[in-house]
Order: sequence, then C-alpha cells, then structure tokens
Amino acid sequence: MKLTKLNFFLGVLLVGLFVTSCNDKDDDPTTSVDNFNRSEMLSFWADDIIIPAYESFDGTLDNFVEAKDAFANDQSIDHLENLKATWLISYKSWQNVAMFDIGKAEEINFLYSMNIFPADVDLIEENISNGDYNLTLPSNMDAQGFPAIEYLLFGMDDSIVPLDLLSEPNRIAYISDLVDRMKSLNSEVLNDWKTNFRNTFVENNGSSATASTDKMINDFLFHFEKHFRAGKIGIPAGVFSGSELSSLAEAPYSGKSKELFFASFDAIQNFFTGLSFDKSTTGLSLQQYLSNIAQTNESQDISIAILQQWESATTSAQHLMDNFKDQVEQDNSKMLNTYDEIQKSVVLLKVDMMQALNIQVDYVDADGD
Amino acid sequence: MKNIFGLCFCLSVLALVGCGKDDETNTEINNPTTYNFTRDGQSTVSFPGQTTRIAMGTELINAMANFNQSAIGLLEMYANETATGEDANPYANDELNASSKSIKSKTAASTDFFSANTSESATIKADFETWITAQVTEVFPNKNELATPGFAGQIADGSSVRYVNAAGLEYNQVVNKGLIGALIVDQILNNYLSPTVLDAGENKTNNDAGIVDEGSVYTTMEHKWDEAYGYLFGASTDATNPIATLGEGNFLNKYLSRVNDDVDFAGIATDIWEAFKLGRAAIVAGDYDERNDQASIIKELISKAMAIRTVYYLQQGKNALPTSGDNYGSAFHDLSEGAGFVYSLRFLRNPNNADAYFSRSEVDAMMEQLTTGNGFWEITPATLDAMSEEIANKFDFTVAQAGS
Repeated sequence: MKLTKLNFFLGVLLVGLFVTSCNDKDDDPTTSVDNFNRSEMLSFWADDIIIPAYESFDGTLDNFVEAKDAFANDQSIDHLENLKATWLISYKSWQNVAMFDIGKAEEINFLYSMNIFPADVDLIEENISNGDYNLTLPSNMDAQGFPAIEYLLFGMDDSIVPLDLLSEPNRIAYISDLVDRMKSLNSEVLNDWKTNFRNTFVENNGSSATASTDKMINDFLFHFEKHFRAGKIGIPAGVFSGSELSSLAEAPYSGKSKELFFASFDAIQNFFTGLSFDKSTTGLSLQQYLSNIAQTNESQDISIAILQQWESATTSAQHLMDNFKDQVEQDNSKMLNTYDEIQKSVVLLKVDMMQALNIQVDYVDADGD
Repeated sequence: MKNIFGLCFCLSVLALVGCGKDDETNTEINNPTTYNFTRDGQSTVSFPGQTTRIAMGTELINAMANFNQSAIGLLEMYANETATGEDANPYANDELNASSKSIKSKTAASTDFFSANTSESATIKADFETWITAQVTEVFPNKNELATPGFAGQIADGSSVRYVNAAGLEYNQVVNKGLIGALIVDQILNNYLSPTVLDAGENKTNNDAGIVDEGSVYTTMEHKWDEAYGYLFGASTDATNPIATLGEGNFLNKYLSRVNDDVDFAGIATDIWEAFKLGRAAIVAGDYDERNDQASIIKELISKAMAIRTVYYLQQGKNALPTSGDNYGSAFHDLSEGAGFVYSLRFLRNPNNADAYFSRSEVDAMMEQLTTGNGFWEITPATLDAMSEEIANKFDFTVAQAGS
C-alpha cells in the first residue's frame, strides 16, 4: 500500500491532470496520501474527551449512589423522586462513554452490564424474591444496569410504582446492589484509563488493525451502527424483524427514549467533530482527518456529507415522541423515517469514511445463533 | 456455465446421432427454470424423510440449550428410540414422534464412505452421543458458574450468554455443525449422489423405461437425487426455488448462504442449485453422463463451501482472541462453530476420485489441537493459522478470502 516517492509524484500529477482536464473526482482510496497526526488525535481523544467523559459519568454515579442510600434509609416521596432524577442524569451521562468499548471496558464487557435492554423482568423478579443472585454472571446481564433500575423505579402501570412495593427490603437491596455495581465497574474502567491505559492507547499510534486509531474508529462505527441506529431506533421500529417491537425501545417505562437518543447523538457528533468534553476547545478529530485527506489528495471531503446527513437525521428525530415505545405504536412511519436518515449516514461512515481512512472494518454481522 | 452446458449438449447430441446405439427413449434435456419435475401432471419431487430429519436435528439442537432436558431425553432425540431400541417419543412435534426415521441411523452412514467402514461409523455416532451426554453431565450442572480454564460454565459473548465445557467448547455448536457434515453432507455427497446408489439394481433400466416406484409417481433414481436435494433445501419455504429465500434452517442451507454472501464466493449457491436442477433434468432425459457431471459439480462446490466456512470460523475465532483480560466469549463461540466444521471436514468429497479430502487421522489431529489441555483458553493464533492453511491448501481459495 505504501507508494514510492516517484509513484506518489506521478500519482499526484495524474490525479491533478485528471481533475483539471475532466473536472471529475477519481478518489481511488489506494492512491490517497495520509500525513495526519494520529498521535495528537489520540492524545486529544484520551485527555479531552474520553477520560473527562468517564469522570463526569463517575460523578453522576456518586450522586446516584447517594440517592439510593438516602432512599434505603427513608422511603419518602422526595427521596424516590431524587433517586429517579439521579437515575436519568446518570443514564444520560452514560451515553457519553458507551462508544468507548476499548481497554478495560472491553475486557470486562462493561457496556453489557450497563445498558442491555429490554430488561428481563421475570429474571429481575426472580432474583429479588430469591435474594440470592450473582450479578457477575453473564446470564444476569439483562437483570442489571440502567434498564433494570428503570423497570424497578418506573415499571408498573401508568409509570407509578407504589411506594410500599418499592419499600420492600429485598427490592431496596436489589436496587442498591445494582447501583453499587455500576459505580464499581465504572471506577475500574476510569482508574485503568488514568493509571495505565491512557499511555498504552496514545502510544499505539500506528496504522495496523490493532492500532488505537483503527480500533477506536471501529468501536465508534460499531456503536453507531449497532447501538445507536439499531438499538435505539431500528429494532423497536421493526426494521430487522419485519414487525414492530415497541417494547424493545430504550427506556420504555420512564418514556425518556428521546432524551437518551439525543444525549447519545450529541456525544457521537462531538466525538466526530473533536469538541472537548467540557466544550471549551476543539482538537484533532475524525472530521479533520477526513478534511485533511481530502485536501492532500484533492478528493471529496466525506465529512461534509456526513455532517449534513446528521442534520437531516436530527430534524427527523425531533419529530419523534418522548417515548419511542409510544411512537412505534402510534405512528411507526416517523421512526422508520429517522432510521432511514441515520442509515444513509451509516453508509457514508462504513464505506466512504473507512475507505478514505484506509481502515478495515473489523467486525462482521453476527450469525444470529 | 451456459457455454459449457451448450457444448456438452451439442456433444451429447452428436454422440447420439453418431452412434445411434441407444435404442431407449433418450430425449433432449429439458432443464426447467425452477426445481419442478412432473409425470402425468403430478410432481415427481419428494423428500419428506429429509425434511423430517432436519426438523429432528433442529429440535435436538434447541433442546441442548434447555436446562430441563435430561441426557436420556436428548439421546432419544438423536436416535428416535430408547437406549434399548424401543419406540420413544422425545420430540415436541408429534409428527416427528410418529416417524420411524432418525438422525442417528443416518450419521456417517453413506454407501461410499461407510458401508464397508462400520467401525469408523460407530466411532462417529459415539462421538455425537458423548457430546450430547456431556452437555447434560458437564455443562448443565455448572450453568450458574462462570467458566474458567478447566471448568465448565457460562461466558459472555457480547450480549449473549454461552455455556461451555472445561475447554471453552460449546457442545451444542459442535453437534449442530458436526451434523452438517456427518448427516447432511455425507448423505448428499457420498450417498445419494453416488453412482452406486443412483444406479443400484434396476434403477437405470427402470428410469429409462419410466417405471415408477410402487405407489409413487417417481422412479427410484429420480427419488434418490431428490433426497440429496432435500438434505440441502428440505426446510426451504419454497423448495422449487430455494435461492429466493436462501439460508433457512440451521443446517447446510444456512451456511451455504453465509458463504454465498462473501463477495469472494458470490454465486456459489446458485451454481449448486443449478447443478442439482440440470442433473435432475438429465435423469429425466436418461443422460447419465450429464447427471454425473452435475453430481461432480455439486460435490466439488459443497465441499468447497464447507471448507471455506471452516476456515472462516477459525479465523474469526483467532481475531476475537483477547489480547488482554479474559473476555473470551466471542472467540469461544466462533471456535466452537469452527470445531464442528472441522469435524465435518471428514465427509467432504473430492469429485475427481473416490477419496475424502481429509482422512480420519487428519481430522482427529485437528480436533486434538483445538481441545487439548484447556483447549480454547490456551489456543494460539499460530495454531489456528496453520490449521486454516492446511484446510485451504486442499482447495482453490485462500485463507484471506475465506477469513472475512
């Protein structure tokens, strides 16, 4: 794939001639030249986006822990409302780190302990009544995390869980264990980033399949395709099953699907454009990487099309109801419309962006068995 | 393909005209657009036994993931009889209970490979019974334990939960993928497409004269060919045009579809289906050379597709091996499927001679490499690469083509 200097010169000359003579865009990825500073981008990602996002999430989990402790001590309405509020703040904050399935997070299957939905209601009730459960078992993945707590706090008819039911000691203990586990898992991931993985991540600045840039971009793409596009929109809208599956929406009991969707979409866009987590600066990003390649090679800048497409997706999603479960049941065409707008950007990301960056997609669609 | 067909057709016509010694009713091959063959207005295509066995296999595989099942119950699903040979009713589907057929009796039971090799056939049947039993005795008791090196239990594969033995192997996967070889592929390639079976007894004479089986509308030879077809497409929504819904069921059709989805091998499913169709049309026309040519194409392409899928899973498993930590679940799942496919290599058929592509000892050596010691917990990328190369070298594809 490496070009000799002469070939490069001829290539540029030929591409130049081509562009001049026929005003066409021959952006054959094999001739694209890449002089982008990956190290600087990786540092910015780690220091200005990823670690601050985990720290911020950790802070919300601290508040969540406090709120459930307060409720455990005194089952007042105020304490319950505060517990629900901290759940939502923390759940939204989670959307900022969900895409970073790398390092310790990948090792401990972090995201599958935090946000598998729908929650397995029967299993949760079984665990509560047994009082004997091992949350580290993979078979308990869908009985924990934000969706399980949502069910416990909001999951009855009309979104009102009777206070006396929630006050049962077993139930309080279960909620408490779930929240404690989330806090402890995140501490493990955050601590590893700060003490160990940050340097590994930044120093692995090459361009092989196992280099940080290649892996992180694949994780970003996977998150966008599977968890954002499919998980939040496509699956409940029935895109993959042929029939609507409204109960598979994110946050169906609390009706916070839309809020979580936009929290996630913002995090995705900020990562792509290189906005620091505290929004004070911008740094090297996928957007700049794509623009840089386009400039160097006088080819089309894919990032412009991606950002435009995301505007269309945003506009479409703004028309959705707060609870995507209701949206699917009442007018699924709006969900499908949003899905289509997002899907157009998946093509831009998965084909055009990956080609321009000369990065291989490292995952395949599962067999489904 | 079209040109070759045209050429063959011209040659066969020339041959007929030239020698003129064939005094029976050899006619032009009439290759239909779908797998539809009739006699006196009635369809002559029939393969209920194959559809039944695919359904039995499906129930068995699903039941292996049901912790309420007993080893006896699972073994009865495999054999459709009790351990002492009495009638059993192990299936949820009563039609299967009423059937006299079974998966076990057709495991490693082809005429070409096993009629004079019953000792290996018995070993293979025993392997399946060992895996089925071990699922209940080794894995079920540890269903609420985390799997660790040397200990059975559960392990996460993304959002899925897998249940593995002490070596990281999922027995249900090795049984499922192993049956694709030992039942489906063996019966198709080494039994029903074998001239020994197709031309047994008076089959040729009867087929030439249009003498049908008693109480049926098909000749024996037509039926044998269709039984081969049924093992591949017997669970299709529309078996006359299975390519339209390629991939149905959990056996060969599904994995042929996966290979066909790889751009390096696009069209292989249609090529196999067309060969089935043309070969069947050749039987109707009494053109046995053409029939054998098409059988060879099927043997070659199904063998190749199986080998491609084997390498695919070994490579996917290799890629999923964690570089740090012990998040092994995705790798174990791929390698479990891969182990089943490796076991199936034994049944692939080289169309150019009477041999298997892989000997018993070659397959045994590969299975040993996969499962020795703590098995998948300690397998190396180098081992998986070497195994992939060993397999691909017997065919005209590369590890890189198959691996993605």
